[in-house]
Amino acid sequence: MYRLIISHETRSLARTGALWAILALLVFAIGFAAFAGGRAIARQARGAADAVAFENGERAKMRQDTEAYAAEVAASGGTYEFATVNHVPGRGPPQGTNAGVVGAETAAYVALPPTGLAALSIGQSDVQLNYLPASMGTTLDMIKNLETENPVNLQTGPFDIAFVVIFLLPIFILAMTYDLLSSEKERGTLAMILAHPVSLRELMASKIVARATVILAVVVGFGLLALLSVGTQLDQAETWLRFALWIVATLLYSLFWFSLAVLVNVYGKSSATNGTILAGIWLILVVVVPTLVSLLATTLYPAPSRMDLIVAAREAQTAGEKNMGSALDRFYSEHMDQVPTGDQRAMDFLTLAQANAANIEQALLPLYEQFREQSLHQEGLVQRFQYLSPAIMMQLALNEISGTSTARYQDFLDQAFRFRGQWNDFFASRFLKREPLRPEDYDQFPSFSYVPEPLATVLGRLATSLAGLLLVCAGVTLLPFAGLRRYQVAAR
Amino acid sequence: MIATIARKEFLEIVRDGRFKWTAALMVLLLVTSLLAGWQRFNSYSQIQATAQGSTNTQWLKQGDKNPHTAAHYGNYAFKPLGPLAFFDSGIVNYAGTAVFMEAHKQNFPIARPATDTSAVARFGELNGAMILQVLLPLLIIFLGFTAFSGERETGTLRQLMSMGVSRGSLLWGKAAGIAAAVLLVVLPCLAVGALALAATGLQTAGGGIWTRVALIGGAYLGYAAVFLFLTLAVSAWANTARAALMALVGFWAFTAFIMPKTAAEVSRLVEPSPAFGTFMAEMKEHQKRGIDGISPRIRIAEYRGELFRKYGVSRVQDLPLYWTAVSMQKLEELDHPVFEQHYNAVRDEYAQQLRLQDRLGVLAPLLPLRSISMTLSGTDLIQHNKFMAETEVFRRNMVLKMNTYLSQAAANLNGVNSATNYMVANEDVFAIVPPFRYEPPALRDIVASQAGNFTLLAGWLLAAIALALVAVKRMSLERN
Repeated sequence: MYRLIISHETRSLARTGALWAILALLVFAIGFAAFAGGRAIARQARGAADAVAFENGERAKMRQDTEAYAAEVAASGGTYEFATVNHVPGRGPPQGTNAGVVGAETAAYVALPPTGLAALSIGQSDVQLNYLPASMGTTLDMIKNLETENPVNLQTGPFDIAFVVIFLLPIFILAMTYDLLSSEKERGTLAMILAHPVSLRELMASKIVARATVILAVVVGFGLLALLSVGTQLDQAETWLRFALWIVATLLYSLFWFSLAVLVNVYGKSSATNGTILAGIWLILVVVVPTLVSLLATTLYPAPSRMDLIVAAREAQTAGEKNMGSALDRFYSEHMDQVPTGDQRAMDFLTLAQANAANIEQALLPLYEQFREQSLHQEGLVQRFQYLSPAIMMQLALNEISGTSTARYQDFLDQAFRFRGQWNDFFASRFLKREPLRPEDYDQFPSFSYVPEPLATVLGRLATSLAGLLLVCAGVTLLPFAGLRRYQVAAR
Repeated sequence: MIATIARKEFLEIVRDGRFKWTAALMVLLLVTSLLAGWQRFNSYSQIQATAQGSTNTQWLKQGDKNPHTAAHYGNYAFKPLGPLAFFDSGIVNYAGTAVFMEAHKQNFPIARPATDTSAVARFGELNGAMILQVLLPLLIIFLGFTAFSGERETGTLRQLMSMGVSRGSLLWGKAAGIAAAVLLVVLPCLAVGALALAATGLQTAGGGIWTRVALIGGAYLGYAAVFLFLTLAVSAWANTARAALMALVGFWAFTAFIMPKTAAEVSRLVEPSPAFGTFMAEMKEHQKRGIDGISPRIRIAEYRGELFRKYGVSRVQDLPLYWTAVSMQKLEELDHPVFEQHYNAVRDEYAQQLRLQDRLGVLAPLLPLRSISMTLSGTDLIQHNKFMAETEVFRRNMVLKMNTYLSQAAANLNGVNSATNYMVANEDVFAIVPPFRYEPPALRDIVASQAGNFTLLAGWLLAAIALALVAVKRMSLERN
């Protein structure tokens, strides 16, 4: 019986222009989103590559200088010496022999590699730069810059597949299902159908299955095509696991909207009223609740102002400077090129500059901790309130699956900060001991390799959102089938 | 006649259950968002004013040091907001609120509040502008989609026409009735907003605040009217109420959610802007290469020759100006055209992108309205660009003043042994750099920049009215 009704429904759906229009729009939206998401990720990757290439080029030049110098020393039988900071070019050892200069004036970029699904959900990755410069400055120097993106576009947000799934897919689903029973009732065909040996439940289930199959086939099929066209690491099993999770989340989310349409239909109002109610619910769940939750999070746990942070950093800098040796040292701190060869004070100065950066870092640490604390509070609040709206659960889930979640970024920051420490220590220890850098030392520079979070951690964070979706889904699905008993099949 | 129809329509809407629910939600959200915006604006302004005052003091009290080193210490500019930011925060959360102004470097704005919010913030900020741009049209659609289609389905439309009502007056009457119901919801909330504005903004507002309010109000009124007449047109045109609803909700979702993002992506495609890493690498390479391919080192050597000829000397020691300071200023000036080329390119790309998005407003009335609202609220790209431009003017002046002072005051130090080769300046010298002040663009210029958007919105309104008139003229009285 089911098979008969489903095939009938599918055939009658295929004859209506609405279905094809909706599917065409959906396919177009997915295609456009995949294209836009792919471009966004490619742009990030290019930015990272250019930054790395520039800094590596700077270091390569320094290395070349040391190689030439080493050859010269070997030929003339002199000693390989340590350069003072920036003396007149052409005389004495090159700058590349000074670890303090190399470590402070070039930066090592650390990058958070995108997952294979990054293009599907841009998440916060457009406001959280995924390549950061590590140098001998302070931690805060690392994270002050952001992507040079038009703020109007950032404010508007990306047209990615997450947007299509969270915002548009429900609209398409509701457009196909808002009059599931009401239209048949209004035409008077519902009573006729039920005169046949078929129950209302069977009819309803078949109608949903027919529609869901069509829409989800398109979403999964074209989602896969989208992934293939933008995927970065398709060879990894993890990418496919993430894609499977993406499908599960999308199925649950779609099921919720299908069930919601059934639920509203069961109350047996007119098609127009059903449409109004469903559009209203869409608005509340997808737009109103998320913006309210966001408002609540930022009102209850406002991040300290970055303006205050800047003022505090300068306060610490001034205090540090006032402790520094002499005015000359300060002047040299900015103009190493003015320091004559062999000036011991210039060497002391770099030592002091190092101490100064450490001072600023120390002073800022508590403030920075406050940022992280408030951000954790905000995240916690959003995690708790996400159950109010499937759209929030879905967004958190998709960001997590695509590797663009705040938690993953925070983990990357921790790794990046640790690396900055290593980078700093490597050069500082050599510099303070006045050990000249030799060409072969250039191979020993610390290099950053991102350690991915264990999959269990990612799945653990994902579980809350997915479980919430599942629960809401189950609730909304079971309710209408219980209510069908009292459904009035013909207009009174 | 029109008044009678309007009264009937108004009473019918107000007595309907859907009105109570939607009105209650609307009032709740609008008042919440306006009050939250008000609180945020006050807190931002307070922090901004304090921070600007503190950095100005920090500049003066940075301790005695070489003037050029002082220029390296530099100063910060914190972006002030006009009071209407409480209504429309525009790009404030994404544009950066502080610029570091230092010797040798032009910097991008930093401290973007968006980096310190949870991912859920990307659903959008609940503010007055968002409610009126997104929710108000839906309210109008909900209240109006049955205006003609409903009467046709219940058969009262034919009855009505038999009483000799002209189709034109039916349209205007219904429009007036729905408008009255919508205003009943929105106006009290906006009064709350106006009170909040009067309570905080007036001392910081400068001139023209109420002109801005009037222009913003006019634009939103026009936008609402577009949706009102489109709703009536579709309601008259559509065969059934539910078809009318489907078409209208579809158009609403298209204009409020799909078009802004589509327009942004299209503008990025047509006018791409470089990634941060690309921008920095290209600019630094260009700096090293020199604007015209002649390296700064050669330029400086040439400049030294010029100065030698000018003063008839042959050694740095004999120059009447402190060479170190003069050469640093020259280096600075060699960088200016490089900065201009690269930063202005990005600025122009953003402006082009926005222009294209505004033009795509022919497809969605939200786009021109969004620009008008942001611009008149002082939270848009134009004002952000002006802020950035003024920080660069300040930076150049600060560096120039410090280098010039050093070049004259330390003229006797040319070629002197390094141990004594520096001069120290104090607070009095730093005070020759006046504190940073941002002057928002004149209202006249702002309004002029939005002429195209106002025209577009007016075009939408005329088209919607024309469409409604035609639809009502051709309206069939029976379902077919």
